[in-house]
Amino acid sequence: MSRTIRSTFAVSVARLSLTLLSLTLGSYAADSATAPQVHLDVSKTSPRQVEELTEKGILRDYRLAWSSLAQALELNTLGPLDGPFAGEAKRTLRQSVLGQQHAGLSTRYIGQTHQVEGVLYSPEGDVMELHDTAQYQLQITDGGKVIHDERVLMHYVVLMTPAADRWVIRQLQAVPNF
Amino acid sequence: MRQFFSICAVITLAGVSFAQDIRVPADVTAGNDAVISTSGSGKATFYLSGPGVARKADVNLGESIPLSSKELTNAGSYLAIVCSDACHSGAFCVIPDKPASLSFLVHPSRVPVALNDAVSGIAFPFDQFHNFVLAPGTVNFQFTAGKASLLAQPVKMQNGAAWFRTTSGRSAGALQVSATLGDIMAHRVVQQVASDACNLKVEGHPSPGGVFVQTEPVHDCAGNLLPDGTVVTFSATQAHGKSTVDAPIKQGIARAQISASGPTTVSAASGVVMGNELRLEAQR
Amino acid sequence: MKFVIPITLVAVTVVLMALALAGVGRSVENVGIEKGSAVAGFTPRAATPEQAMSNLLLDVQRRNWDRAYDAVSKTSEVTETSFIQDWSGSNGSLRAFSALEGFDARPLHATTDEAQMRVRLHWTTPVGPLEDVRDFRLIREGDVWRAVWPKVQIASVPAQIVPVTYLRWDLVSGGTEEEWGSRNVDAPHVRIISMNAIDSAEGAIVMGEVVNEDTVPAFVNVNAVLVDGAGNPIDDENSFDKIAHVLLPKQVSAYRIDFPKLTLKNVKNVRMDAKATLIPASADPVIGVMNQKLDTDAQGKTVLHGDLLNQSGQTVNIPHVIVSFYDNNGKVVWVGDGYVDKALLAQSSEPFAVELPKSMTGKVQNFHVVVNQYSLGRS
Repeated sequence: MSRTIRSTFAVSVARLSLTLLSLTLGSYAADSATAPQVHLDVSKTSPRQVEELTEKGILRDYRLAWSSLAQALELNTLGPLDGPFAGEAKRTLRQSVLGQQHAGLSTRYIGQTHQVEGVLYSPEGDVMELHDTAQYQLQITDGGKVIHDERVLMHYVVLMTPAADRWVIRQLQAVPNF
Repeated sequence: MRQFFSICAVITLAGVSFAQDIRVPADVTAGNDAVISTSGSGKATFYLSGPGVARKADVNLGESIPLSSKELTNAGSYLAIVCSDACHSGAFCVIPDKPASLSFLVHPSRVPVALNDAVSGIAFPFDQFHNFVLAPGTVNFQFTAGKASLLAQPVKMQNGAAWFRTTSGRSAGALQVSATLGDIMAHRVVQQVASDACNLKVEGHPSPGGVFVQTEPVHDCAGNLLPDGTVVTFSATQAHGKSTVDAPIKQGIARAQISASGPTTVSAASGVVMGNELRLEAQR
Repeated sequence: MKFVIPITLVAVTVVLMALALAGVGRSVENVGIEKGSAVAGFTPRAATPEQAMSNLLLDVQRRNWDRAYDAVSKTSEVTETSFIQDWSGSNGSLRAFSALEGFDARPLHATTDEAQMRVRLHWTTPVGPLEDVRDFRLIREGDVWRAVWPKVQIASVPAQIVPVTYLRWDLVSGGTEEEWGSRNVDAPHVRIISMNAIDSAEGAIVMGEVVNEDTVPAFVNVNAVLVDGAGNPIDDENSFDKIAHVLLPKQVSAYRIDFPKLTLKNVKNVRMDAKATLIPASADPVIGVMNQKLDTDAQGKTVLHGDLLNQSGQTVNIPHVIVSFYDNNGKVVWVGDGYVDKALLAQSSEPFAVELPKSMTGKVQNFHVVVNQYSLGRS
């Protein structure tokens, strides 16, 4: 009997471990699929030079913004847009999410890489203009069925402004070229 | 992996790009109608995905699909997809309309007078749909104090923005700053306030229980009266101790009654500026 | 077999619940003070000065005012109301929100009929623990000792109208929808004018002074980050209440930031940040700091003492004094603070005292006092 109890217990522990392991791997896979890679170059920014701490903040917050954008448009939820976006960018993204909810669509941004260049930093440091050359796998689904799947190269003009504890994206506009 | 390409660049260069069953327009200006044409026959599902837009509708192949101006107000990249037995897509760009407003940021809202490079501003043009307009242009910045025009400075836009930096004026009061692009104007006000106190002078006399002290009208070095509420710290030092009062300026003058007895040395300070010293014989 | 553990857990839970409901371990005695009941430290008849002092303070601690007043000699010139007010505070003072947590009494001198006791009172207050030292005189009346209570001095201020003509600033918030850049009211401009970092017995301390260089009032907090040689932050703290938060234009305040249990040994840099926000404020009340003097008190400690004089027509409920101590080069070598636990009534004064650590007494040449104040119901 004791051997039976031990073997049953061992099976339960093994099952629990496997479940935890698969969940971890799953979340890692999800993280790696949505976690954007961002490279930021602010060496040519003018008229104001970008401070070291500001550069780190911009990099951190820009990455977070794209990660939140991807999450919002994939899961059709508005929550992730609240922190990293403001103004027109937030309004437009909210409209996108609501439109997708209504139409039953979902958009995935997979394998994002962003080459970001700072082109303008205002004299008072209250706005920064970035040019982002972004590549990602764009996948659109309708009720789970993939209707579009393509690797794209996009150019974005971005305006970021400082908020209480982070930089937020105020304008995110795709353009034909810089 | 498919060869990378820029969707909007290909469209722009080619004029019109089309998948097998779908033809999308060339660049569309924001707020204008557009049409997508399809070929083939039978039922299909049409999808439109773009900034602020996600639409799904049943269509008939071979017919045109109208896109209303309301759907195409946000500048950016749009994807039109038609699915019947297979899905075919085409991408097109919506570009901003002409400028309709200027976002004009000016700093600071309050500035001490006669300070080098103290006032700066930057202007961004937006169209009527709040799209950022990157087309080149020249913004005229104008600075006015009262009825006098102090400076007019045209600045060529770079990366869709124009900026300035200038020294604050010598007189306290409102400095009007305007930015003009074509027939669009934005207007801001910067309050020029008195700088630090200059020649802070104290006068006083003995009074029952101590001394009564007050400053002469407190000006900055340009002659502007310091605003009411500015704190002047009065100190009265005697043999047995010291007394201080933080007194706010009222109508240019700060006053205080300080407890003291016997020979007393009185001084005043405002911020980091020190005034003169005064020796009085306080009443006991 | 697989249900053994869950069944055991449920059974144990039920048993424990039953025990709790049955009241095992509960005291069956009544809780509360009864006349004559045995209370720890309380002696029914105070046959010694120590017993009398302990009885009085225990009753004060428990707010048994009738019994506490009974322990006061009738030769005292104090009414029961004044006695209670002296202990429990009034006019929204800090004392009114405080409780006597404990006390340490020691005799100073005693004869057969008279004694002097020095008592260290430990108060818990909304601003943290405070200590107060008072001397009490006790006399023997028959076979019982009682405390002689000094007359409670209440400032006699004639009824009058005091006009308020000082400036007041109000803050109007912008609407929720705003065009970017259209509403531009900058945060107040404040500047840290000095910073000094030292080690103390309690830890590292960063202190200095900050000035409001703007023409509008500012609500100010000062933060400090201690950074090691590799540029990594070790710890960050802010000034909490060791700063006069509301600074009027051109007003200077000391600040002090404590890093408990840290030393400056590994600190290569201190990153300072003064955060200022707009705030509605009034230039009134004006509080004068009179008769400031560095002295040694009865316990041998160096204190800066003086009187706060309220020159306005409104009561200041909780005055708070912050002092910068300077050496002969004008460098801030210490920042001390102290709360006055009595309200500062209109046109009247209250004494204050701020201790200076022994290690600093030889260095201090000058000092500057700023008064922070909290008034109930006012911004």
